[in-house]
Amino acid sequence: MFKLKRTVDEINEKIKRGNVQVVTVEEMKELVESSGLEVAFKEIDVVTTGTFGAMCSSGAVINIGHTDPPIKIQRAWINDVEVSHPGAAVDLYIGATQMSETRPFEYGGGHVIEDLIKGKEVELRAIAYGTDCYPRTRLETTLTKDDLNQFILVNFRNCYQRYVCATNSSDRILYTYMGKLLPRFGNATFSGAGELNPLVNDPDYETIGVGTRIFLGGAQGYIIGEGTQHDPANGFGTLMVRGDCKKMSPEFIQGAAFTKYGTTLYVGIGVPIPLLNEGLAKKVSIRDEEIFTDIVDYGVPRRDRPKLGRVSYKELKSGKIVINDKTVKVSPLSSLKKARKIAETLKKQIAEGLFYLSAPVERLPLNVSFKPAKQTRDLIYVEALMHPAVTCSENDEIEEVARKIITHSVNHIVVVDEEGKLKGIVTSWDITKAVASGLKKLEEIVVRRVITTTPGELVEVASRKMTEHNISALPVIDRNRKVLGIITSEDIARIVGGKWHG
Amino acid sequence: MVRVLLKFPEKIASKPITAEVIMTQKVSLNILAAHVNQQGGEMLVEIPSDQAEKVMEEFQKRGVIIEPHRPVKVDGEECIECGACYSLCPVDAITFQEDYSISFNQEKCLGSTCRLCVDACPARAIKVVEYGKENIEGGKP
Repeated sequence: MFKLKRTVDEINEKIKRGNVQVVTVEEMKELVESSGLEVAFKEIDVVTTGTFGAMCSSGAVINIGHTDPPIKIQRAWINDVEVSHPGAAVDLYIGATQMSETRPFEYGGGHVIEDLIKGKEVELRAIAYGTDCYPRTRLETTLTKDDLNQFILVNFRNCYQRYVCATNSSDRILYTYMGKLLPRFGNATFSGAGELNPLVNDPDYETIGVGTRIFLGGAQGYIIGEGTQHDPANGFGTLMVRGDCKKMSPEFIQGAAFTKYGTTLYVGIGVPIPLLNEGLAKKVSIRDEEIFTDIVDYGVPRRDRPKLGRVSYKELKSGKIVINDKTVKVSPLSSLKKARKIAETLKKQIAEGLFYLSAPVERLPLNVSFKPAKQTRDLIYVEALMHPAVTCSENDEIEEVARKIITHSVNHIVVVDEEGKLKGIVTSWDITKAVASGLKKLEEIVVRRVITTTPGELVEVASRKMTEHNISALPVIDRNRKVLGIITSEDIARIVGGKWHG
Repeated sequence: MVRVLLKFPEKIASKPITAEVIMTQKVSLNILAAHVNQQGGEMLVEIPSDQAEKVMEEFQKRGVIIEPHRPVKVDGEECIECGACYSLCPVDAITFQEDYSISFNQEKCLGSTCRLCVDACPARAIKVVEYGKENIEGGKP
């Protein structure tokens, strides 16, 4: 039974003759369900997959040609987006997440790539230190894609096999690379195309590897290796890909902006999977209900965020999932409609003889996993820096509070009730203002919506809270809102100076 | 039902105007969204069609400014149909079709009083048109 096999060459021969049997991977799954694996495998030569999602580790290499006199670019900007100069004189890399210096968070490298693909003119500005061989120190010019020698997409991490489902337990809206997450599990988001995703359908990379020809941004591109953070051991494989931007279509590659996170690039990728053996036919019959991912709490700003449960892509694609017994709406961030369109387009190209398959010259590694960063400094928690807070009660007179500020030489007084629970905060500035406007009672000036921290929070996180809210101290509280102490920006400044580490 | 936006200027924001109108007009006013702050307030309401004219008149008499309801606008050219907006909509105005197309129901949208989806759109395809600026082109920074 398992004897029947085909080769990539045989399939290409059929493409040439115009009698290749190609279907989208979704159609294949239905065929396996209706007619059985054996029949489906016998009938079908190739299936097509697709995904269209935000892929931040993307970018394009351009070569602008030599100027006269020549320049060895040191720093350069296109439409105010800094582009990096990793090589010789006039090669530049437009990184998708690099943001415009004049319109940050709205326009970035991803948009520059999209604009160039659309044929729009962009503005290049460059500076250099000047050498004997490259004397020029400044360059300002406009460019379209036709002016570029090369305009090559080189994405170092694309096409995640699957990704987590994000939600937010905290009490504020979070703006993340997983989109906008409402407080108290108000919604959830997920990424990835599930059963349509290329790597999900060939999880052992039998047909996917270096040299595999793929659909990339509307043109033909290639897989050039595993992507960074490739983690097949945990079901998070990734791809590194390249393709000619000059041939791409803005329908399948588009710049995007995630509020308060930054800019990125939506990339459309389709991979044909030749059904070389019946085992592969079985693998591609995997359904959304068999593909699971974790629900992860982005309300906890750590590398290892808490997992709240597991969901299948079938549940995710239904638009609603259950988190802690509560039904929550879940948004895809990838376009499932475009993923389908990519699989359809690739199928049509193969059927019409416009796209031939290529066998990989080297398969992607299977037995690697993704290591966390080496950190030479220990993590520091609020606990290590907090000190006792000077407190007062809500009924205190302003004069009394002012005296406390002077005797303890502090800027913040934490207002507590009889049980020591947080009621509010007043600063020396509030007191000054109150005195200036003749107010006597503390309750008239106390700030009741207090931003707080906990002993177990990382100092980096506490520090970010202060910056975000433009404040200089956070009361440290326990689960019952009992005040344990206070941490101030001065405490944090001391460790930045390096004294903490001796 | 007629959907309108009621704007309460600062000086009348603390008066029980809505309660007065509901009681004197015996109208079952459906309040869809309400915001009040020091600068005044705004409320998106639905009024039964047969009472709409009279009720609006009563609000206006008491100093309330009535503006047409402004649902968000989706630019079909820019939209990539990802669905980032879908889970943010509190009134299910954004839904998925069988083929994963996204459809948007203007009738349900809370528009200018909600805006939750606007800054979540990665393609920046969702906008709220400011009142009186409907005909001004552009809107992009």
